[in-house]
Amino acid sequence: MTDYLELAKATVNKAAQNGVEVEVIITQDKETQVRVSGGEVEQLSQSGSGGMGVRVIQDGRTGYAYTSDLSDDSIEQTWRTATELAQVATPDAYRGLPDPQPIPDEDLEIWDASMQDVPTDRKIELLRQIEQATLDYDERVVATQWCTYQDATSHVYLANSRGFGGQYGRTTAAAYLMAVARDADGHAATAFGVGASNFFDDLNAEDIGHEAASKSISILGGKPVETHVGTVVLDHFVGAQIIAAISGALTAESWQKKRSFLLDRMGQTVGSDMVTLLDNGRMKRGLASAPFDGEGVPTSATRLVDEGVLQNLIYDSYSARKDNRASTGNAQRNGHRGMPSLGPSNFYIQPGNMTRDEIIAGVEKGFLVLSGMQTGGIDPVTGDCSMSAAGLWIENGEITGPVDGVTIATTLNDFLMNITAVGNDLRMMPLFGIIGVPTLRVDHVTIGGS
Amino acid sequence: MIEKELAGKILREALKTGADLAEIYVEDVTSTQLGFDDSKLEQAVHGADRGAGIRVFFGNLVTYAYTDSLSENSLLDAAHAAASAGASSAKTQLIDLTERKSPLVYPVEKELDSMRIEDKAAILHRIDETARAYSPLIVQVFGSYGERVRRVWIYNSTGLMAHDERTFVEIRMGVVAKKNGTMQRSFRGFGGQKGLELLDDNDPTAVITEVAESAIKMLDAIPCPAGEMTVVMPNGWGGVLFHEACGHQMEADFITKGTSAYAGKVGEVVASPIITAIDDGTIPGRRGSLRFDDDGTPAQRTVLIERGVLKEYMWDLVEARRVGREASTGNGRRESYRHMPMPRMTNTFIDNGEHDPQEIIESTKRGIYIKQMAGGQAELAKGDFVFNATEAYLIEEGKLTAPVRGATVFGNGPAVLKEIDMLGNDLALDPGMGICGKGQSARVSVGQPTLRIPKVQVGGTDEPVEGVMG
Repeated sequence: MTDYLELAKATVNKAAQNGVEVEVIITQDKETQVRVSGGEVEQLSQSGSGGMGVRVIQDGRTGYAYTSDLSDDSIEQTWRTATELAQVATPDAYRGLPDPQPIPDEDLEIWDASMQDVPTDRKIELLRQIEQATLDYDERVVATQWCTYQDATSHVYLANSRGFGGQYGRTTAAAYLMAVARDADGHAATAFGVGASNFFDDLNAEDIGHEAASKSISILGGKPVETHVGTVVLDHFVGAQIIAAISGALTAESWQKKRSFLLDRMGQTVGSDMVTLLDNGRMKRGLASAPFDGEGVPTSATRLVDEGVLQNLIYDSYSARKDNRASTGNAQRNGHRGMPSLGPSNFYIQPGNMTRDEIIAGVEKGFLVLSGMQTGGIDPVTGDCSMSAAGLWIENGEITGPVDGVTIATTLNDFLMNITAVGNDLRMMPLFGIIGVPTLRVDHVTIGGS
Repeated sequence: MIEKELAGKILREALKTGADLAEIYVEDVTSTQLGFDDSKLEQAVHGADRGAGIRVFFGNLVTYAYTDSLSENSLLDAAHAAASAGASSAKTQLIDLTERKSPLVYPVEKELDSMRIEDKAAILHRIDETARAYSPLIVQVFGSYGERVRRVWIYNSTGLMAHDERTFVEIRMGVVAKKNGTMQRSFRGFGGQKGLELLDDNDPTAVITEVAESAIKMLDAIPCPAGEMTVVMPNGWGGVLFHEACGHQMEADFITKGTSAYAGKVGEVVASPIITAIDDGTIPGRRGSLRFDDDGTPAQRTVLIERGVLKEYMWDLVEARRVGREASTGNGRRESYRHMPMPRMTNTFIDNGEHDPQEIIESTKRGIYIKQMAGGQAELAKGDFVFNATEAYLIEEGKLTAPVRGATVFGNGPAVLKEIDMLGNDLALDPGMGICGKGQSARVSVGQPTLRIPKVQVGGTDEPVEGVMG
């Protein structure tokens, strides 16, 4: 059995010549993926995979190379290629590796020791139950698509020429499917159900199936409302898309490169007093939690917006050096194939204390948005925010019927300022990074309809 | 690649538990990516990925195992793992492997190593300088250069042995413009399945000048009106609408599950009689083109809709076997050896119509002209789609007037296909940077002539407009 941390350190030592800084990451993953349709297994894939990535920094110039082949020859070629590529880059005095810091000894609950022992049959059974729960929910649910289970046990080994050496393991298990609903009048609708956790036993078949089924049938036959400016209540799937865009405007890089709608508003009020935004790379059972980030800096919890006031940004070591402060441990990494890049970890809006039902009960006239689509319509640079939407109409605090074929539009500034209720039902959504949102009520949103 | 004898040995191992078909997919990918941002060449990345996947078919069950190593032991282990995940009583015998040749030629005229990496980097420096010199309102510029060579070999127990080699070059660029607290950004790029001759046919400094011009124009844009409106879509990249809202619904996995609105509708009228739509995986130079797909099936041209009538879906091997079709349409594609293939589009477009594009705008009384747009997204089952315009103008009395910002166009794909009332004669494919995400990423092309949708939902923050028809 190869000691991968030792292999990473040995590669650092070989490549770190003539004042060159070197960082080596090795990943080793075991993955299972199952797909079920009509109760039958369609696809079953079980494998292991991994590789090495080498980052070389010479005189402030960075080169990177990766390989899936860990033979001696391939490793040597990889670090030599990274060293050569560094010559092409522009010198930048702020480029460099971080100094090693002590990693807090704390159980982040990201390792399910029993994951590898869960028999494949049990994973298949869970998936069958999810599909069955979806189809049994209502006769109008006529089919499922992408009924999938996937898990991974991942190991990360990281070493650098400043003396850092560390490793951790993380497990994830996720299941999802799309429900397809049709009614007698020929209306159709689809909705997703998703569950994801670091622990296999956290996945609940009924929760996932019922979410997809109940959402899909509830919006069947929806019609547009008249175009007007009004109140919306946002489901997790919808709020997460907007909060994800806002997270992109709260990275130090987006400020340093002048690509944030919040640029230069530190210390100012950017949201209603119900808005507190946090990034926590050490959240217990956080899907993005890890003891150290993609360049070996301990992860941390950062309060970005506190009761509406902008307080902080997230940093990696490069952006931190540029602003003469400490990294918040937010260098993210896409396995061994990517250089570290600054981004959120577990990013969320702090939940309030109202249930979704209580929020709906307080709405005189409004639109509960259950699903939405957008492609670049929510822009952390310009602050534009528009998407298509389907959901349920609310009248005097009660749901009155489905709405479909409309758009909702505001700006990200107005969105933050007009949040007037925050639910207690925080969910970490594994869809657009790990983004946490409770149910949100937002006023003064343009609803574009007939 | 692996030797024929070794491939035979591995396929026999994979057939041991009674499978009816076994397959080896071997892949070798090398790539170089340069990233320029904030006036600096920040990223210089080289990647090498090599591995193999063993796929074993037991009726409708497909098992899979992959490995990063092409050693005999690793391949046999993977074959054993995939074989032992299923069991059947088929006594399939391996048929001798015979290499198939493709008649398709996708030339690489200038090899990727015929230019020094410093000169590739210099292109990005030039993009930055050109944009910043264009106007002081340009506050940020970024650009990237990417090249990638993907070699695949497919061997299966029916005796198939096929090889494909796909070379891609692409350049992307974008700017942020700022005036009085208003920000706009604009992107563009070009690429193709070809060598560095791409740079002879495209001038990056001319493209970045257009990008800068577009972002600056949009700084003065008025908020887009909300409501139902006539929308004129551009040729080329505008074809992303058909790709998202209709193309995906013609992929066989959504047909055999009954998810798609087009399931069971072959032979029926599904579009306006002016619409003919094609998926063509055989166009030289295009990102979606293949000699053989990732199942080993020869690429082909498939007419999906002919003068409004639905003709065919896009099939991969798994879905074709499921319904007992003789052959797939060569649409089986996978992201890498770590993935199983699924039905995917290649180069998909709406064919030419009869109208002069200028006439389409002139005959529109009031509406929105989309000049540039970001990618699209669509919902399955109904085919509702959404896309966001990045450069758009009001059409008033047949003329383009004010630029509008924040326009989201939202409609139903199958309905829109029936409603398109004017189709231009200016068919173009996109500039060559399309990536489709359907759980796995795939390089694709889209295309269409200029076309008009008489009435579709437009989302914006301004008050609704009156009168929608041209």
